[in-house]
Amino acid sequence: MAISHGYIELADSLSSCKVLVVGAGGIGCELLKNLVLTGFKNIEVIDLDTIDVSNLNRQFLFQKKHVGKSKAQVAKESALQFCPSANITAYHDSIMNPEYNVEFFRKFMLVMNALDNRAARNHVNRMCLAADIPLIESGTAGYLGQVTVIKKGMTECYECQPKPTQKTFPGCTIRNTPSEPIHCIVWAKYLFNQLFGEEDADQEVSPDTADPEAAWKPEDTAARATASEKDGDIKRVSTKDWARSTGFDAVKLFNKLFKDDIMYLLTMDKLWKKRKAPTPLDWQQLEDSARPQEETPGSGLKDQQVLGVWGYCQLFQHSVETLSSHLQEKGEGAELVWDKDDPPAMDFVTAAANLRMHIFSMNMKSRFDVKSMAGNIIPAIATTNAVIAGLIVLEGLKILAGEVETCRTIFLNKCPNLRKKLLVPCVLDPPSANCYVCASKPEVTVKFNVHKTTVLALQDRILKERFGMVAPDRKNCKTFFGYYYYLCVVRLHELEHDVEFEVVGEAPDKAPTPPSNQEEANSITNGNKDSAQPSTSSKAEDDSDDVMIVDSDEEEAASSATAKPAPSSGTKRKHSDAETGETSTKRPRTTQQSSAAADNDDDDDIIALD
Amino acid sequence: MIDTIEKEDPVISEEEAAQYDRQIRLWGLDAQKRLRGSRVLLAGLGGLGAEVAKNLILAGVKGLTLLDHEQVSEESCRAQFLVPVTAQGQNRAKASLERAQNLNPMVEVHADPDRVEDKPDDFFLQFDAVCLIGCSRDLMVRVDQLCSQRNIKVFCGDVYGYYGYMFCNLGQEHNYVEEKLKVVKPTRDSNDGPEAKKAKVDLNETTMVKKTASFCTLKEALEVDWTSEKAKAGLKRTPVDYFLLHGNEKCQFIKQVKKYKCFSVIYVILDSKPLAGFFCVENSFAGIRPMSPPSTKFHGHGHAAFA
Repeated sequence: MAISHGYIELADSLSSCKVLVVGAGGIGCELLKNLVLTGFKNIEVIDLDTIDVSNLNRQFLFQKKHVGKSKAQVAKESALQFCPSANITAYHDSIMNPEYNVEFFRKFMLVMNALDNRAARNHVNRMCLAADIPLIESGTAGYLGQVTVIKKGMTECYECQPKPTQKTFPGCTIRNTPSEPIHCIVWAKYLFNQLFGEEDADQEVSPDTADPEAAWKPEDTAARATASEKDGDIKRVSTKDWARSTGFDAVKLFNKLFKDDIMYLLTMDKLWKKRKAPTPLDWQQLEDSARPQEETPGSGLKDQQVLGVWGYCQLFQHSVETLSSHLQEKGEGAELVWDKDDPPAMDFVTAAANLRMHIFSMNMKSRFDVKSMAGNIIPAIATTNAVIAGLIVLEGLKILAGEVETCRTIFLNKCPNLRKKLLVPCVLDPPSANCYVCASKPEVTVKFNVHKTTVLALQDRILKERFGMVAPDRKNCKTFFGYYYYLCVVRLHELEHDVEFEVVGEAPDKAPTPPSNQEEANSITNGNKDSAQPSTSSKAEDDSDDVMIVDSDEEEAASSATAKPAPSSGTKRKHSDAETGETSTKRPRTTQQSSAAADNDDDDDIIALD
Repeated sequence: MIDTIEKEDPVISEEEAAQYDRQIRLWGLDAQKRLRGSRVLLAGLGGLGAEVAKNLILAGVKGLTLLDHEQVSEESCRAQFLVPVTAQGQNRAKASLERAQNLNPMVEVHADPDRVEDKPDDFFLQFDAVCLIGCSRDLMVRVDQLCSQRNIKVFCGDVYGYYGYMFCNLGQEHNYVEEKLKVVKPTRDSNDGPEAKKAKVDLNETTMVKKTASFCTLKEALEVDWTSEKAKAGLKRTPVDYFLLHGNEKCQFIKQVKKYKCFSVIYVILDSKPLAGFFCVENSFAGIRPMSPPSTKFHGHGHAAFA
């Protein structure tokens, strides 16, 4: 087919330019296929992961025989089949490896993210800003998806809008007063680490005597004294050591965790004034009154069955035995790492969480449901990824054709909106003036207790974890790749209990109230452990493409007729939404503006004809 | 037919549970069972057809029949990814079979080299759903008529450059369920947590609500009288390209004289009234972009979103 004018240049640029795809999973596979068929000839793809059987429902470049192999490598081989003359380079590596420095990124005309976690997205965002390369960002979750373009100086960067950090729960909720299944699941994962894995001071499972709600008095009650004596004052002995001393005896473990510790909690009576008190379990009693579990054959998956209490007691015992023998096999000083796909590890968390749920009067959950929550599983299908990958390429073509102003953020919804649209484009916002990543003089202020925070904690929890710095230089306070950050140290002692630090301009780092359904659905498309999308409550739906203006005079007339809200109003609205917890308009409004625009357009469409 | 599917093979194997895990967590086990009991026909293995084939096979239908009489051309391998570059001259459906099957060995994939127009009525009746891609209007109307009466779901579609359409007829009485969040009523002894004092939306619990929808036939859709008052009222929300794409007999195309740089202007006329205007970038893979006609006498017109 003959191609005219500017499209020849575009076709040339497709075959000569180099592009980078970060991630070879759900979006990555579809994207690689699209790039190859569109005519891109020089593609590099990077992914640190290997292929799992659960990937095969959507990551179609992989087959069963490839399970265990490198995603990037196999993706390259499969994609080459579609166009053997393409040049594809695969890296089985993490994009956060310092080897992929600014020079590496500068090789590319375009970078496309196909990631599933925020840390990597933050990192690639910063690298693309440093190298000044356009970045196409995207994400999917279930039926929902989104694509956006990030161009230094022109658009918001990925970190311009503060995103809520991953949901964490206060220690006392986990240790003393769980009220939701997720609290019990988090507790069970902590327990796994305390017994079999890397012990972490932030992952205590025993009752928290310092709970301010308990209004604890050192003058103890008889029960507390008894409990302490029984366990040999466990605070001085690590949980793992204590367990080892009992030979990982499941029954002893059970009675300590689900009976003694609960009885201890009961003595903190202030906690139970307004809450339903927990009921301790006794192994012997449960065994004596156990009845054979009724099987409901066929109707659901095996994993979807909810067992009885005794069933979970047995599962607990069995998994403890398996895990402790794994641990012993590994030898002295060994540690296990929790993995949702490791059956005994998953069994253990299922059992422990359910026993705790039962104690605290919650309905128990099936292994299937526990796995979703414990493993942060995001449901996924092929078609959503296919649509998003298609949109990524369309945005990419606009960039290569030099038409970045026509790029949009596009949302893929589950149901059509009032205008019957499933795909909703929005105009891109300009960069945020005080973004600590892309502003010309990036700066952020953090409050923390100078006396209580160690330098290591400052580095690990604040610089690395919170701000995503890969290799902060302690001496000069700058990151490896040349971003300068100025930390204003404020001596503050009144941070709330359980709050380690506070970034000025944001709410303290605590568990937020559960978001409305819409927000939560919108906010998980950025992947596992992410809590928000680039916020769009300020964005107007892009109406300008509805009417194609031929004459340039009319173009101005029409744009003023389509009333768009000023970008500056965005920030304010967004914060108020978050604070009041309203169902936010993070998906852009469509009704009012669009119908107004449509009515006004009648006169604007007169085109002079000879 | 779909309602009886559950009786076939109700037990999902461990292999299936592991492979389909992420989608079962989205649309539920019941939906997955229905998929794995359905047989689907896919006619037309061009670029769009290959994508549909991939998506259906990955979803785990029971069987998929690839029907295409066309031969693989040099362009075929660039249009779609199921046909190997070495397969020129072969039948397109047969050439797509191996890669299609490898996408998911648990699906029975067949290739049929016949013309879809030559198939007798009862050929279509063996399926639970049929997808007609790039087919003629007459064929689509015929198959739609035949299938929708027997609760066989019909999907039609095609693409042209940046444009495309999809039509579906799920029957006059299509039953489905919608997932809605459960509202937890406040009770003293609420089992979901000791602190449930107020009614809240429980994000973990959902309930299925039964619903019914009614679809019109393709014939009915094509025969809509766009000059009627009722239809005109709906025009605002009807994409202009709808008319271009379905080539209604009542629409005539007039190529306008004015040429702007490298494009020409085309108008869609309905009963001698200008309905829609397009400007066409000549010979370009960018396709066509819509615009509104010059006449202000026309009441209401549709807008198209061009992403």
